Amino acid sequence: MILALAVGAIGLIAVAGCGGGGSSSSAGAGNSESGGGFAATAEAACAKADKQIAALGTPQQADVLEYMERTEAVIEELHRRVGAAAGDGAAEAAYVKGLATAVPVLDQMTNAARNENYDAVRELSAGLVEIHLGELAEAAELKVCAEVPVSTS
Amino acid sequence: MRRLKLVLALGGVIALLGSAGVAMATTGATTGYPQPKVVVPASVSTPFENRYVLTAVGSGAGIRSGEMKFEFEEGSSPEFLVGISQFYVYGPTGEIETALFTFYPFTELPGGKGLKATALKVGAAASYGQVTPDGELRMFDPEGDRVKGEMRLHGDGPWPVEFRILDEDESTGGHPPAARQLPEARPTDPGWGADAAEYEGEYELTDGAEDPTEKAGTLGAVIGVAQGLGVNGAVVTGGSMTVSGRPATAEVELQTGQEKRSFTLTGLAWQGDRRTAQVHDEGAGSPPVGRFEGTGGNGVVKGSLVSGHTLYKVEFKLK
Repeated sequence: MILALAVGAIGLIAVAGCGGGGSSSSAGAGNSESGGGFAATAEAACAKADKQIAALGTPQQADVLEYMERTEAVIEELHRRVGAAAGDGAAEAAYVKGLATAVPVLDQMTNAARNENYDAVRELSAGLVEIHLGELAEAAELKVCAEVPVSTS
Repeated sequence: MRRLKLVLALGGVIALLGSAGVAMATTGATTGYPQPKVVVPASVSTPFENRYVLTAVGSGAGIRSGEMKFEFEEGSSPEFLVGISQFYVYGPTGEIETALFTFYPFTELPGGKGLKATALKVGAAASYGQVTPDGELRMFDPEGDRVKGEMRLHGDGPWPVEFRILDEDESTGGHPPAARQLPEARPTDPGWGADAAEYEGEYELTDGAEDPTEKAGTLGAVIGVAQGLGVNGAVVTGGSMTVSGRPATAEVELQTGQEKRSFTLTGLAWQGDRRTAQVHDEGAGSPPVGRFEGTGGNGVVKGSLVSGHTLYKVEFKLK
């Protein structure tokens, strides 16, 4: 009896595992249904984030800390909104993971700006470059998210 | 016998603490610095492992006196140098203030002419235990007990410096003598050449780096801002300069990706191939935030544009 239950349980775990793996490794057409909702939410969130970041302009040195704090808040909010809307697609997951990777890097950069260590701010930004968030957005077919915000001042 | 051993052991400990105490009091302990990315061969760095007293400095630096020591990081392999210094500087109202700098990491100067290191300040704005880059010290190869060099601090300079190597048993007693003030040898002829027609016009940047914000999506703007910061050389991906007017001024635009920074250069001056100017970041009427120091001629102007704590290496060519 116990043996039968154990075999049954293993079977269920195996099925669940296969389902999860298949879902997370798929992308594109297979996720078009859930991706449509995700894309709309993500694009709207990116448009809002781009607008907020563009409005910050290019800061003078004295304003770099404030710029970093605000940008960090915008990206955190973007990550929260996009993460909540993400489906099972690999490209969606990769984009959300890119944002998740960016948040602690931005936090470190803000701390470096707080210490007026501007060389560290620059060096830490290499961590953001490596994410290639624009490419991840393109892969997830997020056109707005792939764009670089342009300062309005 | 046991009592003798105890006395010897205690004596040893006391001697060790005493020597450590002296070492820390006179030189500071340079421990905990990570291995630099660039290794300087011991044959190059060993001649610089000395204590120094400042004997001469460019008058613009506002430094009265100072001393420093370069020593190999304890237990490092391969060995690397760390410098510690104490300068006495003239404050804004003439009083003497103390300025502490650490020099790290050291790298070789081009052509094997000496060493250079980032000047790390211990400032009021820094968090406990942290230092921030504030300039650069260049030390040319020692000649006897003398070492000449250049120093750049808090976005200004470079100023010439000269140090004397202290003998092993020599001490300033914590009161280094006043250094000779070297007169500023900055160009004084107005403009960037004898004939305005030679240097007036529109210039384009010729040493732009790759755009780090490309493919960065929403993060592109913050990358553009961050990569345009730092005394160790901000990233410039594009730019332009227009020189015009009597007296001549230059409007400079520098880009990192899509982030643009605008500067106005005033007080353009030249002598031989040297080109200098004051840098403003909010128009010619705003207070200067740094200097441009470089060379020029034949339609090319290149050098370092310093704005606050940020240094931009630029090369412009007349269109």
